[in-house]
Amino acid sequence: MKRVAVIVMCLTLLLGVNSLVAAKTLKIGTLSPLTGPYAQDGTDIKQGVLTAVEVFGKIEGYDKVEVIPGDSACDGGKATMAANKLINSGVQIVVGAYCSSATEPAQIPLMEAKVVQITPASTNERLSSKGYKYFFRMPPRDDVQAWSTVEFLEKKLKAKTIALIDDKQTYTVGLTENIKKFAKLNNLVKIAAHEHITAGDSDFTAVLTKIKKINPDVVYMSVYQPEGSKMIQQARKLALKADFISEDAVYHPKFLEVGGKATEGVYLTFAKAPDTPERKAFVETYKKQWKADSIGSYAFYAYDAGMMALAAVKKCGTAEGDALQKTLRENTWQGVTGEIKFDDKGDRQLAHIVWVVKDNKFVPYWDPLTGKDL
Amino acid sequence: MDQSAFILQQIVNAIFLGSIYALIALGYTMVYGIIELINFAHGELFTAGAFIGVIVLTGLQSFGFVESHFVISMIIVFGLAMAYVAVLGVAVEHVAYKPLRDSSRLAALLSALGMSIFLSNGMMLSQGVSDRAYPPVFGVQGIDIGGAIITNGQIFIVLLAIAMMIALQLFVHRTRLGKAMRATAQNRTMARMLGIDIDQTIRITFMIGPALGAAAGVMVGLHYGAVRFDMGFIFMIKAFAAAILGGIGSIPGAMIGGLTIGAIEVFWAAFLPSAWKDVTTFTVLILVLYFKPSGLLGESESEVRV
Repeated sequence: MKRVAVIVMCLTLLLGVNSLVAAKTLKIGTLSPLTGPYAQDGTDIKQGVLTAVEVFGKIEGYDKVEVIPGDSACDGGKATMAANKLINSGVQIVVGAYCSSATEPAQIPLMEAKVVQITPASTNERLSSKGYKYFFRMPPRDDVQAWSTVEFLEKKLKAKTIALIDDKQTYTVGLTENIKKFAKLNNLVKIAAHEHITAGDSDFTAVLTKIKKINPDVVYMSVYQPEGSKMIQQARKLALKADFISEDAVYHPKFLEVGGKATEGVYLTFAKAPDTPERKAFVETYKKQWKADSIGSYAFYAYDAGMMALAAVKKCGTAEGDALQKTLRENTWQGVTGEIKFDDKGDRQLAHIVWVVKDNKFVPYWDPLTGKDL
Repeated sequence: MDQSAFILQQIVNAIFLGSIYALIALGYTMVYGIIELINFAHGELFTAGAFIGVIVLTGLQSFGFVESHFVISMIIVFGLAMAYVAVLGVAVEHVAYKPLRDSSRLAALLSALGMSIFLSNGMMLSQGVSDRAYPPVFGVQGIDIGGAIITNGQIFIVLLAIAMMIALQLFVHRTRLGKAMRATAQNRTMARMLGIDIDQTIRITFMIGPALGAAAGVMVGLHYGAVRFDMGFIFMIKAFAAAILGGIGSIPGAMIGGLTIGAIEVFWAAFLPSAWKDVTTFTVLILVLYFKPSGLLGESESEVRV
């Protein structure tokens, strides 16, 4: 027994020596739902980061860059476990998570471990209001999104009443609460109803029939894409007359594919994307690498997060948390989602525009900042 | 939309949802009735049916067969999905349950859970992680009854579900095989003594139950427009509740349980705060089981034993 223990100890020591002489690896973790209902977006995020690593190529001071995928499953508990697992495997940068309700608890171990976390998707404003200096966010915040939506309702649609539907999760409730808050400021749009569904359900006819009876001018779908695609089909079958408006989680090619004709005329808020050669090149590379016909909306943010992190590591020569967060904050980066400049909270200056579904495509429709058609 | 149209529409919503739950619940109840095992893989068999449906339907639609021969293509789609899943059901029984038939119930239960995870992950790997769109066969056309809209698709699906339930009821009560099934459910040892082929009876149960689940899967796909590898889970929970509520082991109980769960879900969301919908569904389940542990139509355990 003793002898075995000695051998095991020696082997352990050897392992230690082994890793000292082994190649110097930069480890990037991704944290996104790879299982469960939002696995599509989660996979988009993972693939976006992998593409970034491939495109960026060799980075000075490191022999190779390794991407370690973590599964957050859009669940606080699982996301925290996955974050701890990533920390233990030695990642210095984490791109993720997707659902705000998963990102929030995962922040705690990551921030304690001084790991730079860049979320490519979570938009709840609470995430950046905690004073975490290693936290960065690629998409615009939910209060910005809700403000844009209310502007659109008041100035463009001139709606009098709105019915809100959310699925009781951090992100979706954050949006509906913000809409309520901004709608109260001018008091032009009245909240006619606020209904809730359960994420993962398929049948929303009970709630939609209830809204049909109230007959609001606009229905706001604060849900994720799988529920959104089904909800809009059922709303059309029930012949609801209201305009439908939704948000960035529904803004996904899958919404058009699954919803089909029913999605025609739905308004969505999503950040405007620049039409640059870099973006086109990324679209091509990504489609080729993953044999995909279309690209999920969050793959763009994930790619930018990956590229930016690698560029920052190259610039400051280390992936150590304090130096890296400083470099990220002090510089302006160019990405396929536009110019990236973080404020002291780690948020970007990025605004939403309103898109409309026309001929099964997302088409820019209205700019809340200028109040003009696009 | 006035109050009467509103209530009528909600009744339509409830009947539709309830029929789907009932059809899935039948699979649980039949298997439980015959080998006293909760077949946790039933949700995955339902999903497998939905996938076979979308593959066949997409194939048929690619050369315009669905438009020209609607009835035939529906028979092909439902037939292939049900046949495939019936075979799959027998395979699951053979691999995961048969070797454990005489061991403890807990072992069989774990085996069922393992099978569920195995099938779910298998479908994830083969069919991908995201929603798969069902070709829109029915569209939004429908009829208007007193302000309530019933789409053609809903009429088709509910009629088909009712037809399947009637056929099942006739099969169980009017045929020799049905009689053998009932005998096996009552007392397996005695049935064997009387010359009933128990293995075959169980196999047939594992064909019919999953086949009905597969039909429900195709219906869900046709109506809701999308299928995903993990969609079985939430339907499984609701259908399981329906089977328990109606009295597990009882075929009419599963139908009534399904319709009841559907009605509770819809009417709670229709008249009371919708956020509490799922809480209510399961509260009702707990209350029923508290006052009538055998479910609405179930026989009490002691009666079965006697």
